Amino acid sequence: MGAVTYPNEKVAEFVMNRMVPIQVLADSPLATEFKVTWTPTITVLDYYGKEHHRTVGFFSPEEFIPSMLLGMGKIDFDTDQFNDAIIHFDTLLKDYPKSAAAPETIYLRGVSRYKASHDAKPLKEAYEKLKADYPASEWARRAEPYGLL
Amino acid sequence: MAHEIIWEAELNAALTRAQAEKKPVLLDFFNPG
Repeated sequence: MGAVTYPNEKVAEFVMNRMVPIQVLADSPLATEFKVTWTPTITVLDYYGKEHHRTVGFFSPEEFIPSMLLGMGKIDFDTDQFNDAIIHFDTLLKDYPKSAAAPETIYLRGVSRYKASHDAKPLKEAYEKLKADYPASEWARRAEPYGLL
Repeated sequence: MAHEIIWEAELNAALTRAQAEKKPVLLDFFNPG
């Protein structure tokens, strides 16, 4: 990460503008507290320190920003800020539609739209998009019941 | 300089900054070896 992804111009600009970055050794007490067993482990916390998103392993610059956007959306999702979550998810799907984070984002965007509106239609739309664009993804399988709505 | 991530090294400092700036925290556990 330190050799390829973090020096990337777009990554550095995104992190410095949108997040507060902290880097900690994997054998530190904080790593034990967070139950880190392998590196790189990257987590996204809300500003109270609660974890909402975790990745393990290398991320290329092209995959790193969408993963962070997904994490930021998950903070809003987990705290019932569904309209804010949708903004993060929309940005991710508009700017990084082919990223590895896209299927989970489509799923969570559908759920967020449902939670914000209490209209079940977005759940079915999420399933149909996952089935069309990512039929082999685990998120398409998780959304299968929504196809019956 | 413009394209360099300036890392915090201490969680409480990062959280204090994050609360002031209303930003999420990117916490990276790394192994320099």
